[in-house]
Amino acid sequence: MSDEDPDGPLWRRLLLNRFVLVPGAIAAAILAWNIYVASHDNGIVEGLVVDPKGEPVAGASVALWVLNFTTYVEHAHTRTSADGRFRFDGNASHNIQLAAEKPGVGRSARVPVRLYFKAQDATLSEPLRLAGG
Amino acid sequence: MHRYPRWPIHLTLLGVSFVMLVPFYWVLKTSVSGENIFAYPPSVIPKNPHLFYYVDVWYYIPFARYFLNSVIVSFLCVAANVVFNAMAGYALTRGFAGKSLVLMLFLSCMMVPFQATIIPAYLMTGRLGLLDSHLGLALPQMSTIVCIFVFKASFDAVPRSLIDAAKIDGLSEWRIVWRVMMPLAKAAIATNVILGFIWSWNNFLWPLIVTRSADMQTLPLGLARFLSYQEDTTGALYAFCIMVLAPGILLFLLAQKEFIRGLTSGATKG
Amino acid sequence: MSAAATHPEAPGRPRLLARKRVRQTMLVWCFLLPSLAIFLIYRVIPLGWNFVLSFQDWSPMRPARWAGLDHYEEMFFHDEVFWTACWNTLIFMASAPLAIAMALGLALLVNADIRGRDVYRTIIFISYPLMTVAVAIIWRWMFDERVGLINYVAREAGLVDRPIPFLNSFTWALPSVIAANIWQMLGFYMIILLTGLQNIPQNLYEAAAIDGAAARHRFRRITLPLLKPSLFLCFVIGMLNSFTSFDLVYVMTGGGPARATELLVTYIYKLSFVQTKFDYAAAVTVFFFVLLIVVAWGANRLSGGNAGAVEAD
Repeated sequence: MSDEDPDGPLWRRLLLNRFVLVPGAIAAAILAWNIYVASHDNGIVEGLVVDPKGEPVAGASVALWVLNFTTYVEHAHTRTSADGRFRFDGNASHNIQLAAEKPGVGRSARVPVRLYFKAQDATLSEPLRLAGG
Repeated sequence: MHRYPRWPIHLTLLGVSFVMLVPFYWVLKTSVSGENIFAYPPSVIPKNPHLFYYVDVWYYIPFARYFLNSVIVSFLCVAANVVFNAMAGYALTRGFAGKSLVLMLFLSCMMVPFQATIIPAYLMTGRLGLLDSHLGLALPQMSTIVCIFVFKASFDAVPRSLIDAAKIDGLSEWRIVWRVMMPLAKAAIATNVILGFIWSWNNFLWPLIVTRSADMQTLPLGLARFLSYQEDTTGALYAFCIMVLAPGILLFLLAQKEFIRGLTSGATKG
Repeated sequence: MSAAATHPEAPGRPRLLARKRVRQTMLVWCFLLPSLAIFLIYRVIPLGWNFVLSFQDWSPMRPARWAGLDHYEEMFFHDEVFWTACWNTLIFMASAPLAIAMALGLALLVNADIRGRDVYRTIIFISYPLMTVAVAIIWRWMFDERVGLINYVAREAGLVDRPIPFLNSFTWALPSVIAANIWQMLGFYMIILLTGLQNIPQNLYEAAAIDGAAARHRFRRITLPLLKPSLFLCFVIGMLNSFTSFDLVYVMTGGGPARATELLVTYIYKLSFVQTKFDYAAAVTVFFFVLLIVVAWGANRLSGGNAGAVEAD
């Protein structure tokens, strides 16, 4: 166990064996992950709404659903700004759905967004695409 | 040995290894993609792998609580095991009246499986007021005969001259055990730690009987409860399996030699 | 502590030495005490308690009454489930020699002089230290009727036309559980047999080869007899394992479609902790333990006496 380097100094034997290195690496990884989580858990969800032609849509209403045990419940509403972007603050869940609609332009499908931890700051990679008219 | 072709041996062993590893791969695959729960035919490579089932497991069940319970109980078991078994192993290296009786008792206790004692053990734990507590969970496993004999064999191998020199220096028995013999029995300690940890970590029946409240449950219990609530309708169950198996596999890979040595000590000499 | 006792004085010497010996004996017993207490409390006393309880009519609410052989009579003559469980347990136990034979073959292969034998050994052994509950969940799913891998492979290979409901059929449930158990135990048997094989001195083989013995004869005359202690140990462990496979059965089938996979140990659990019939369960436990001892003793006699696992000083 600690006889991999019997001639080395004591500190080296104590430190450089697999029973210290492996748990140490795991502990370091856990610590790094927790630091990342703590710095990114503001609950901000941002995204873009576009119309069928791909142009940003201003003034569309966006709804946020949050997972409650086995179903999704509506949690918050907001409107897109002039450049079609929207932003939610205060999302506390890890499993949410978003949908946008604007009367006259259409409505988008309900897009599920899954996060790696609760209230993770998220920016949608794909815009919410309105369709239907 | 005569020369014989090696490749049939490799072929057979590869086939057996495949059979042994396929369940792991299959579970891993489902835990990252959620296929094969409803879909048929199954695919070999997961499409759209994602890690969100692990997130589901973390939040849906109190995984951290179960993990902590398992860790506490295992720690209690392992610590008590090392101390008690070392003491008993040392005592068995000395000659004293009634030694053969004690040895017979220990050997015959090996043949009494835990499952034959669950009713009285449960009633006794209830009387002691230890139901639903970490100590009550750990108590029956705080000493194992296999590990006592591992320590005994290890202490037997310590040269008599060292003990005599320590005695001449005026060390008490207690000091002799801790200062002289334990440092020389590091392998036995490692074996005891790994065997005790694995046995208490995987224990299912005793926590099933003894725990009453949901937040005292250990990991195996949590896993079985998850199955009974959720059936197998979600990839989260298999993510839970992987999360539960990973520490065991990691520990085994780290401490393989000690684990095998502890198990085979009965095969060679006893 | 015994510093004073190591400097004997001439006149009081016998008294001091006697005191030292007494003190040493007391110390040895103190060292033994924790382990001994645990075994007495959790192994020896429960056996006696079970035995006494099996003759009583007791429930946690009422004081005990003497019931004589009532429970045993009910168990042997009126309880179908008991006999089913007993039979299932014996079938489960009979699968151990099959697994040991397979493990012997594997051990012989791994013992050969090939590269990567440690890797093979690790891969085959890795199933043993895993949590049985997780193994049960994995195999329960592998045997699933709709989406299980076993059914898929069997259908692709043309062995069957329609999926077999392994864990829901009376004929296939117990073999499925046994298959999962063999998967888990194979590595353990292999490791023990491998250690036994490696303890056989090589020069025996060489001498036999010089004398012109064929490989078959070398195996039967040298390997098998010298492996007898390891084989016996494997059988005892396998027997104990099959008697106590609560985790696997409980999670995989819960006792099976209509008790098809009910073992004595799961029946005892259900009697005591689901139906709270502690006294009747104690009677079943007594039978369970006696059966175990009888089988172990029978195996010992069959293998010719003390081919036992552990030496006694």
